[in-house]
Amino acid sequence: MQLTSKNQLANKTKKVANINIALAAATCALLGTTPVVQAEEAVWEMDTALLYYGETDRVTAVEGVFSARKDFGDEHIFSGKLVLDTLTGASASGAVAQPNAQTFTRPSGKGQYSIAAGDIPLDDTFKDTRVQLEAQWTQPLWDDMRGSTGVHLSKEYDYLSISVNGSLAKDFNQKNTTVSAGLSLAFDMIDPVGGRPIAFSEMVIDQGQFANEQAYQAAFDATRQKGSDDKTTVDLMLGVTQIINRRMLMQFNYGYSTSDGYHTDPFKVLSVVNDQGLTQFLVHEDRPTERTRHSFYWQTKYALDSGVADISYRYATDDWDINSHTIDSRLRFNLSDNTYIQPHFRYYQQAAAEFYQPFLLEGTTLPTFASADYRLGEMTAYTVGLKYGMKMPSGNEWGFRLEYYQQDPKNAGFDAPEVLQQLDLYPSVKAVIAQVSYSF
Amino acid sequence: MINGSYTIEQKSDHIIGRFSAMASPCELLIETQDPMLANHLTSLAYSEAKRIEQKFSRYLPNNPMANINHSKGKPVAIDDEIFRLLEFTNSCFELSEGLFDITSGVLRKAWKFDGSDSLPSADGVKVLMAYIGWQKVKYDQSSIILTKGMELDFGGIGKEYAVDCVAKLCAQCAPTTSVVINFGGDIQVTRARNNNQAWLIGIESPEDAAPAKMLKIISGGLATSGDARRYLLKDGKRYSHILNPETGYPIENAPRSVTVAAPHCIQAGLLATLALLKGARAESFLHEQGVKFWCYR
Repeated sequence: MQLTSKNQLANKTKKVANINIALAAATCALLGTTPVVQAEEAVWEMDTALLYYGETDRVTAVEGVFSARKDFGDEHIFSGKLVLDTLTGASASGAVAQPNAQTFTRPSGKGQYSIAAGDIPLDDTFKDTRVQLEAQWTQPLWDDMRGSTGVHLSKEYDYLSISVNGSLAKDFNQKNTTVSAGLSLAFDMIDPVGGRPIAFSEMVIDQGQFANEQAYQAAFDATRQKGSDDKTTVDLMLGVTQIINRRMLMQFNYGYSTSDGYHTDPFKVLSVVNDQGLTQFLVHEDRPTERTRHSFYWQTKYALDSGVADISYRYATDDWDINSHTIDSRLRFNLSDNTYIQPHFRYYQQAAAEFYQPFLLEGTTLPTFASADYRLGEMTAYTVGLKYGMKMPSGNEWGFRLEYYQQDPKNAGFDAPEVLQQLDLYPSVKAVIAQVSYSF
Repeated sequence: MINGSYTIEQKSDHIIGRFSAMASPCELLIETQDPMLANHLTSLAYSEAKRIEQKFSRYLPNNPMANINHSKGKPVAIDDEIFRLLEFTNSCFELSEGLFDITSGVLRKAWKFDGSDSLPSADGVKVLMAYIGWQKVKYDQSSIILTKGMELDFGGIGKEYAVDCVAKLCAQCAPTTSVVINFGGDIQVTRARNNNQAWLIGIESPEDAAPAKMLKIISGGLATSGDARRYLLKDGKRYSHILNPETGYPIENAPRSVTVAAPHCIQAGLLATLALLKGARAESFLHEQGVKFWCYR
């Protein structure tokens, strides 16, 4: 019997960085199995979604989302997101409805639009495309600590927003408690077409009073500030997540946000009405340059035998006096191992900003700040919806979501003079949201 | 249900079979509501684990390992299973360029990793080096020759091998049932669960005080190598129980523990052990392998 030393270490000529393929073959020879495709290799998880948002007679938005995530091993995770939005349609300008037709100058100064008697003035030139990019890196640090850092970029034709964020999370109590802290810094820059209006400057409307085009343009330009303006925002977030038992998880967050800079909406105006409620002229709005906001958030998730209940409440308050309450609930029912339905209900209530005015009265003192933007007024809003999800045999997942949203602005205690009493100053906004998503 | 050697426990969506083998707690998570099937699989697993333990333990007299290790240079007959394991360890030796060597177990005579500060003498290590070197082992399909004083030790892969063998038996016996075989943290899932949900498994942390790490596993194998309680500490320096067969001394700057996911448990175990042997380069080595892994330093 001639036994030989089988290993050929001396003859080894090349050094192979990846030995795993050869090791897999040796394993299969040992176990007498056939090689399998390396299923555990880190793969990109992709999500895509297409969302349609349509308000009755107002804004229509179509949004495409593509996000990707990869675990590079050892819980080093990269995630990225690309969002494309297009918005078209009409948006409330802030002016009040009148018993007669009204004519307004477009924010760009180029052209006019008319609104029929009794209709809420909507600026129909609203059209924008937005691109958003996000990148986030998360990895374990030391002592059960995780760190995450990311950048966010959002660009519209006249708006640019850049932000960076960082956060730390640490687990305690056998990973039953997680404490986290995060910081985000954002820089926004706005450069609207037609320039930024001077605060409370009167809207210039060409009703034949100008000798020529240059005279109109000079009058329009006199209401505008040149160049861009910006805003910086600092956000702080502190959170605690607590596992209550095998089925229940609770989360508490406190958020602090302070912003400094240009908060005004350059496209919004206020009607100045006389004591009969008739519009005399229109002025451009102006908002404070600072805003500080506190928010308190509580969320509970509960695993049912065949689904998940998710309920959250948020209270937010800021130094503009916009106090809001949000209740959000989702209830997921598994219909089978691979399909589920998820009803959604959200209720929102907010108080008006201290400088919110539906209109200004002629002859009264001009306030320091004022805006008739319905989004700053008192309101309630609710969303009801249903999502259906199904998992394919391949593991890829489809989701279909249909929701109805209604926003009901309220009179925050303003007395409407004469003719305005006959008109709807606080019209509801109704919208339908439809989304299709696919994860693979 | 208790059967003396193993126990069966009914959970809400699976059944757990438990027994003790290879100095480790062993468990099977079986996605079934059928206690008969669970009992059958656990019984199979128990016998297979005991069979491998009996055959390959270097602590037992008169088993094939004892016959090989006490052969004093004479040829010893081997069966097909031992031949396949020798072929496998030969591949590992070659792929690791000599770092993985099942003849290096004799260094245990010098190194006692009991948490103390008693390092062996340099001479004590040097003497043993003469008995290390896989390239000196001669074998073929039916026999093996070890030079006198040399020993083989399958301790580094035995538990992972047993996990894979049990997984294979379970897959043959219950091909449509997802079973997790977990022998003290070395894990194999026979197939994905019917609802495609991951199995959640706790992995013991290298430090007693730290909580166990929860890992999700859908399919494939998972293995951990590390020096949980096996080390020496002298003058503030920690000596890991991972010994370099070329020097006879512990690998420096190795992670405390490495967990690797791979299609098979034994493959994962080998990659975890090789990562430890790479010392400071453990993480970059595992990155090169393109596998999912968790290092604890």
